[in-house]
Amino acid sequence: MQRFATRRGICGTGVQRWRRCLSQLAQKTEENEVYVPKIPSFDYSPPAYKGPTAEEILRKRKDCLSPSMFTFYKKPLNVVHGKMQYLFDENGRRYLDAFGGIATVCCGHCHPDVVKAIVDQTNQLQHSTILYLNHAITDFADALASKLPGDLKVVFFTNSGTEANELAMMMARLYTGCHDIISLRNAYHGNAAGTMGATAQSNWKFNVVQSGVHHAVNPDPYRGIFGSDGEKYAKDIEDLIQFGTSGHVAGFISEAIQGVGGIVELAAGYLPAAYSSVKKAGGLCISDEVQAGFGRTGSHFWGFESHGVVPDIVTMAKGIGNGIPLGAVVTTPKIAEVLTRRSYFNTFGGNPVCTAAGLAVLKVIKREKLQENAHVVGSYLKDRLCALKDKHEIIGDVRGSGMMLGVELVTDRHLKTPAKTEILHVMDQMKDMGVLIGKGGFFGNVFRITPPLCFTKDDA
Amino acid sequence: MATQRNLLSRSLQAAKSRCRYHQSLRGISSASAPELPPFGYEPKPYNGPLADQVLEKRKKYLGPSLFHYYQKPLNIVEGKMQYLFDESGKRYLDAFAGIVTVSCGHCHPDVLGAIVEQSKLLQHATTIYLHHTIADFAEELASKMPGNLKVVYFVNSGTEANELAMLMARLYSGNLGMLALRNAYHGGSASTIGLTALNTWKYPIPQGEIHHVVNPNPYRGVFGSDANQYAEDVKDHVDHGTSGQVAGFIAETIQGVGGAVELAPGYLKLVYDIVRKAGGVCIADEVQTGFGRTGSHYWGFETQGVTPDIVTMAKGIGNGLPLGAVVTTPAIANVMAQKIQFNTFGGNPVCSAGGLAVLKVLDKEQRQKHCADVGSHLIQRLRDLQQRHDLIGDVRGRGLMVGIELVTDRKEKTPAKAETA
Repeated sequence: MQRFATRRGICGTGVQRWRRCLSQLAQKTEENEVYVPKIPSFDYSPPAYKGPTAEEILRKRKDCLSPSMFTFYKKPLNVVHGKMQYLFDENGRRYLDAFGGIATVCCGHCHPDVVKAIVDQTNQLQHSTILYLNHAITDFADALASKLPGDLKVVFFTNSGTEANELAMMMARLYTGCHDIISLRNAYHGNAAGTMGATAQSNWKFNVVQSGVHHAVNPDPYRGIFGSDGEKYAKDIEDLIQFGTSGHVAGFISEAIQGVGGIVELAAGYLPAAYSSVKKAGGLCISDEVQAGFGRTGSHFWGFESHGVVPDIVTMAKGIGNGIPLGAVVTTPKIAEVLTRRSYFNTFGGNPVCTAAGLAVLKVIKREKLQENAHVVGSYLKDRLCALKDKHEIIGDVRGSGMMLGVELVTDRHLKTPAKTEILHVMDQMKDMGVLIGKGGFFGNVFRITPPLCFTKDDA
Repeated sequence: MATQRNLLSRSLQAAKSRCRYHQSLRGISSASAPELPPFGYEPKPYNGPLADQVLEKRKKYLGPSLFHYYQKPLNIVEGKMQYLFDESGKRYLDAFAGIVTVSCGHCHPDVLGAIVEQSKLLQHATTIYLHHTIADFAEELASKMPGNLKVVYFVNSGTEANELAMLMARLYSGNLGMLALRNAYHGGSASTIGLTALNTWKYPIPQGEIHHVVNPNPYRGVFGSDANQYAEDVKDHVDHGTSGQVAGFIAETIQGVGGAVELAPGYLKLVYDIVRKAGGVCIADEVQTGFGRTGSHYWGFETQGVTPDIVTMAKGIGNGLPLGAVVTTPAIANVMAQKIQFNTFGGNPVCSAGGLAVLKVLDKEQRQKHCADVGSHLIQRLRDLQQRHDLIGDVRGRGLMVGIELVTDRKEKTPAKAETA
């Protein structure tokens, strides 16, 4: 995300072509026709909004909230209501949400089953901590563990992806007795001290001590030096271990598809080779499923499954609760034991309301076959995007899997110069047409499409 | 088990209660077993899994490091104001409030209403879009703060809040060393473990440059209640253990996990002065003491007559919602603007709406005053008990954050661990 990109108007034929074509990410029928598709109809009227307007909110935000907080769009959007894959602004205007609150809303905004679980449990008991027993946490842990392969069956609940990754990194360090952790350049794992170290994009890294992390060459098929040769990239891990560490490491952490980094799929063959090197050095393999998990990739429930590996620790958040503040770490009983050396306690983690919501989410994903939907609709959408790419030079790459898709815009296909300003213009245009989409990548030039998994072909 | 005992012997804190709270300890007899005050509410019938089943699943799925209270763990299934109900519908007076977290009362109708209404409208969109709840809540929260403390960051827990505060301190000052009190608890993540200074919670991992100063503990501390001498220790650390310049100092005004230990009077004023002269910022951890709990003031730090540079809060802020916050000055906040600081769940509509409802309930129902009234009544009765029973070594705290330390020998202050359990 580029904070520094300005919102200048763009002129030039490139944008004119772009305006004609990119609407709803759908195809236009004829080259010269100006065709503005409408979002599919939706039989639902939002309740009237009587709260503060966008201007009032913006003013309060500037007064009372962090100055580093940013918004999308020239005219920031006041989103007041959500229903399944749609969001509504203060005027009741409906938008197709193709970003899902950053890959977070998986069942759909205010999905009735999830809302019911939340409301029922909130009326019963919001909070008591794990000092007392309560069945909500155990029911959810049971259901979650059953979704994971191998010996991954011990669950720790946290309140965010950052907390989950922090805990995973700490467990790896405790288990191995080593400090060094390897992560990938362009990764994003969180914003606390340890996870900031693992995160590897300068935009997100403050100038504070971040020790013990080594960043390996990113196996990026589009921009990486070795193209799609996964094994060549994996040699860098070997190198790092042999030359940058004592030869033994605490672990390796990666996202199966980099989210914040711009929906970058790891080159084929990379993870098995990397995991092998790390395990030889005594390290644990951590899979960050905060964005890729819960069926989003379509082909599998977890991102790591598409690479044919089984990690030692899996972290998750975002989609796990359809937007409720919840995160989790799942690992093996053997690794979980390290925490018995002292006490690890999370006051809010595993509270009845969030775990009830989490369980409802798993049930919805299963019952409504959301993973299959992600696969079918996602593949369809990707095909259409690829067709668009054939027509328009500005699209440098279309990638991703299921409903985790990226479209990278470049001003020069050969040099791959990021189209930083054009993308902002198009995003705004799309908003005007009623489609909300995300943005990411190190240069801020990649559209991130991570809608709620109930997205339909019509939406696509 | 040992951990459990440590916890029990270290802290006993009272929730907001409108009744007389009778304390009966093992080995202390009373004429007749007192009863809970009447409460015109019947819990809903419970048909879910029973305690044994839940315990079994916990052992299987939640890891061996998860602990619980009581020889026979309690299966809590419902809550209403200051009461909790177990699987058989038995009512308990909740004098711990989910660890100082439930501030308004379990399932308080106003807070419930706000949560339910907002959950039906919009759970989550992130701050890349606008939404009024986060702005309204931030404004209301900032209005409760003195001085120039007016920029609010929302996070999801006390740990996250303290992580952020530490980051701010280091960035703003350009220094690395942090000062924290022995016996403090500030969080469970790898870095906040560094600030935390109770070995039960400290895993053997690198924790950065943290200096733990002598705890100004009036009951057990080596200088009794003499703030000056404790403050000298801080100066010592700065002069000899650091470059002379520090990033910051963090303290809870009444140590929660550490056993409701009030800092010796006048301590914070002296220390804040020393820290600021060394280029550091002063952080007040209000995760437990905030929101009127101390009775005399809204914020714990106010009881020591100081104004910090950064205030962190969680627990009571949302009556149990996963919510935390950091409030600081514009000058410090501007330093954070160098890079992107983003929290996906932080400030989400439901938690913000819940938080705002909590602030309103606390004001409307005059909870701070209530804490002062009931709290002083409670402390007086506990002191009376202390006169009659040697086992009670110390009664301390203020408002509804009260601690009773049990000792087998008043002179030696030998902890009465088994008796407490």
